[in-house]
Amino acid sequence: MKFKIRPATKEDCKEISRMIMELAVYEKMPDQVKITHEDLERDGFCQNPFFECLVAEVPEEHKSTEGFTVVGYGLYFYNYSTWEGRTVYLEDLYVMPEFRGNGIGKGLLSKVAQVGKKKRCVRLNLSVLDWNTPSRDFYAAKGARDLTDSEGWHFIRFDGQNLDNLANEAPED
Amino acid sequence: MDYSIRAANVEDCKDISRMIMELAEYEKISEHVKITQRDLEQDGFSKNPFFHGIIAEVPEQHKTKDGHTKIGYALYFFSYSSWSGRAVFMEDLYVMPEFRGKGIGKALMSKVAQLGLAAGCHLLDFTVLDWNKSSLDFYHSQGCVDITANMGYHIMRCEGEALQHLAQP
Repeated sequence: MKFKIRPATKEDCKEISRMIMELAVYEKMPDQVKITHEDLERDGFCQNPFFECLVAEVPEEHKSTEGFTVVGYGLYFYNYSTWEGRTVYLEDLYVMPEFRGNGIGKGLLSKVAQVGKKKRCVRLNLSVLDWNTPSRDFYAAKGARDLTDSEGWHFIRFDGQNLDNLANEAPED
Repeated sequence: MDYSIRAANVEDCKDISRMIMELAEYEKISEHVKITQRDLEQDGFSKNPFFHGIIAEVPEQHKTKDGHTKIGYALYFFSYSSWSGRAVFMEDLYVMPEFRGKGIGKALMSKVAQLGLAAGCHLLDFTVLDWNKSSLDFYHSQGCVDITANMGYHIMRCEGEALQHLAQP
C-alpha cells in the first residue's frame, strides 16, 4: 500500500488528537487523555515547540472506512542525557489497526530516528507497557533494549496536588 | 547552613561536569559518561537549548576542602505527554555528600517543579534505579508515584548500531 510520511502541520492536530484517543483506548486508559487538538496546536506550533510530529498519509483511494487519510503518527521531542548528550524521545507511535502490516509503523519509527540523527542525537528512548507484547517485540526486533528489565530504571512522576505542593516549597529567588 | 539556588549559566558548566561525574560514580556507571564541559556549554546555552540547569551554591566560608562553592545541581528539560500536555523531565538531581541532609536536594527539586508549573507543565517526571532505596524513599516522601511499578511502563532504548540501522532511509 502506498503511503507518505511527512511533518505534521497545525491543521493535522484534529487527526492527531483523534489518533491519540484511539491509542489511549488500545492502552486501556482513555480517561487519562486530558488535552485537546487546541492544546496540540498551541504546544506543537509555537515559537519553542514542546514536541514535533510526523504523520502517515494514504491516498484518497485507500482512505479508512470513516474517510480518514491520515492513518498514523509519531510524536517526539528532544531530551538530554548527562552521560551521552542529545536524545530523541518517542512519546507516541501509532498506526490505525486497518493499516497495520504495511510498514507504516516502521516507516514512522525510522523517520523519527533519521530526524534525531540529523540533530546529532545518540539515543532514541521510549516507554512501553509491560503487557503490550506486540509493541515490545516490535521495538526489540529493531534493536531496542528494555532498560527497566536490564538495569532497573523506574519512571517516577509528580502530578496534580503533589506537584503543586512540591512547587510551593521552592525557595524564594 | 546558608545556600542559594539559581539558574545555571555557561560558566557553571565546569562544575556541572564535575558533579555529573560524581553522580555517575554514585550510580556505579562512571565509564558511561561521554559528554564534556564543552558539550554542556553548546547544548545548554545555545539558541535552542536541549536542557536547563539550576545550581545550589554555598558561601565561601562553607566551601568544600577542594574549594568548591557550587555543591548541587538539577538538570531538566521540557517534554510532552500526549495525554496531559506540557511536562518537565528532571534528568539529574545531585547534592555533594557532605552537603546532604540540609534540604538542598528538596529545594532544587521544588525549584524545578516551580519552573515547570510556571511554564504551564502538568507533570514532573524522572527516573530512578530500583536499587537506589534512599532516593526512592525521598521521592515517595514528597508524594510522587512510581509509574513503572504501578502501571507497568518500561523504558526502552535504541542506540549505537541499532539506532544507525533504524535511521537508514
